[in-house]
Amino acid sequence: MAYIDIKDLVFAYDEEGRSKIFDGLSLCLEKGSYTAILGRNGSGKSTLAKLICGILQPLGGSITVGGLATDREEELWQLRRSCGMIFQNPDNQIVASVVEEDVAFAPENLGVPSAEIRRLVDECLAAVDMTEYAKHSTYKLSGGQKQRVAIAGVLAMRPQCIIFDEATAMLDPLGRRDITARMKALNKEKGITVINITHYMNEAAEADRVIVLDKGRVMMDGTPREVFSHGDELRAANLDTPQITELCDRLIELGWELPRGILHTMEAADAIENYVKGQN
Amino acid sequence: MLKDITLGQFFPGDSILHRTDPRFKVLILLVFIVAVIAAKSAFAFLAVGVLTVTLVAVSHIPVRIVLKNLKALIFILIFTGILNIFFYQGENVVFEWKFITVYREGLIYAAFMVLRLVCLVCGSFVLLTYTTSPLDMTDALESLLSPLKKIKLPVHEFAMMLTIALRFIPTLVEETDKIMSAQKARGADMESGGLLKRAKALIPILIPLFVSSFRRADELAEAMECRCYHGGEGRTRMKVMKCRVSDWVFLIIMLGICVGVFFVNGYGVRV
Repeated sequence: MAYIDIKDLVFAYDEEGRSKIFDGLSLCLEKGSYTAILGRNGSGKSTLAKLICGILQPLGGSITVGGLATDREEELWQLRRSCGMIFQNPDNQIVASVVEEDVAFAPENLGVPSAEIRRLVDECLAAVDMTEYAKHSTYKLSGGQKQRVAIAGVLAMRPQCIIFDEATAMLDPLGRRDITARMKALNKEKGITVINITHYMNEAAEADRVIVLDKGRVMMDGTPREVFSHGDELRAANLDTPQITELCDRLIELGWELPRGILHTMEAADAIENYVKGQN
Repeated sequence: MLKDITLGQFFPGDSILHRTDPRFKVLILLVFIVAVIAAKSAFAFLAVGVLTVTLVAVSHIPVRIVLKNLKALIFILIFTGILNIFFYQGENVVFEWKFITVYREGLIYAAFMVLRLVCLVCGSFVLLTYTTSPLDMTDALESLLSPLKKIKLPVHEFAMMLTIALRFIPTLVEETDKIMSAQKARGADMESGGLLKRAKALIPILIPLFVSSFRRADELAEAMECRCYHGGEGRTRMKVMKCRVSDWVFLIIMLGICVGVFFVNGYGVRV
C-alpha cells in the first residue's frame, strides 16, 4: 500500500461544495519518494498539502498517510507528527523568539521528556547546520536560515514525510538552492518522503517524480524527463519548463536534432556538442 | 529604538540576580515591594535604602543605566516631593508665607515618599526588568500562576499569547516601517498638520497592518497545529526551571529584611 493514498478526493472551501477545488482526485505517493507537485496559482496544490496534514478536511473521499486517516480525530496527532510541513512564509511559522526554543516547540507539544528534547534539538540543529545559531534571536536570521530552523523544527518530530509548501518562494536564489539541496539530502540520506510543492521548474527537475495539477486534477505524472518533454502542453497550462529545457526545445524547433526533456545544463552542453560535431 | 525589542530592557549577564530562578525573583520582588511600602521610620528607610543599593551593586548593571531610568521619572519625583511639602498638615511650622505653610513633618514625609519611589523603581528594575529575559519572565508567570488552572483560568494560553506577542513585535515593527514607506511612496503625508490630521493619516497604515496581522495569525495557527500544538495539556518544556538552595536563601533573607523593616518602624524619626 502506498504511503500517502488519496482516493476520490472531493474538496471545496464553501461547505455546500459549489466551487470544488478537487472533484474525484486520486493519487498515490510511495514511502521514501521525492515528488514535486507543480501547478499554477489556484490549481489546488497548497490545498492538497493542507488536506494531507489534516488541517483541512475533505468533503468526500479519503486520505491516508502511513495507514492513518486524516479524518480520525484520535489519529490526527500521530499523523501530523509523522508528516511535517514547511510553509511559504518563514516568518509566520516560527513560534519562539530564540532558535532553540522554536526547534523545541514540537517535541514540547508531544510531551517528550526535557533531557530528550535537549538532545533532539541539538541533533536537529546540527542536521541543518544551525548549531552556532542556537541561542540567536529568530527574528534576525535571513530567510534561508529561518527556513532551516523551520526544517529543524519539523525534524524534531522525527517525521517520515515532509511537505514543502512553496518553501523557497520567498527566498533569494542562494537560499533557494540551499533549501532544495537539503530536500534532496533529507530524501536520499534519511529516507524521508519529500513532497515539494513549487513554482520553480528547476526545483521540480531535482525530484524523482513530477505531478502537474491543473484545475484540481492530475494533468501529468511522471519522471521530470517525461513531464518536461511535453513543453507545449505545460505552456498551454500556463506553466514553464526549466530554462535549459526550453532552450533545447527552441533549438529543436529550429531543426536541431536534440533529445527532448533535457533537464541539466551539462546534459544540454553534451547533447549540443554531439549534434554540432555530427554536423561537421 | 525598536532594534531588539524582544529583549526589552534585559541586560544579559551572569550576576547573582541573573542566575536566580525567575519565579523566585518575582516572589522576592513582591516581598521587596511590601518592605518598601511598609517602611515608615528613618531606620526603616535606612534599611531599604541600603538594601536597594546592595541589589543594584550585585546586579552588575552599570549605575549610569539605573540613574538614566530615574531621570525619566524626575518629573514625578519632583511633583511628589513638592505636593507633599506644601500640602502635608503637621504641627511644627518651619516656614510660613501668606497662604503657604510648610511643616517639619511635611518635609520628612516628602523625603520619605521620594526615597520610597526611588527604591521601588531601582529595586524592581534590577530585580526583574534588567536581569530577566522576557522569555524567562513569561515562563515564571506561567509557573507561578499555574495553581489558578484549578479554577479554570487559561494560564497556559495567557503565557503562550505573551510568548507569541514578544516574538511578533519586531516582525510587526518591520512591517509597519514597510507600509509607511509604501504609503509615503504613494504621496501620503504623515508629518504635517495638526494632531487630528496626523491621527487620520495613520489609518492607511493601520488597516493594512491589521489585515496582514490576521493573515499571519491564521498561518501561524496552521503552522502550530502542524507541529502538534494542542494547548497546555501534556506539554513538557525543554528548559525546566530548577530552584536551588541559593534561591531559597535569597527569598528567606528578603523575608527577614521585610520583617526587620516592620520591627524598626517604631524607631528613629517617623511620621
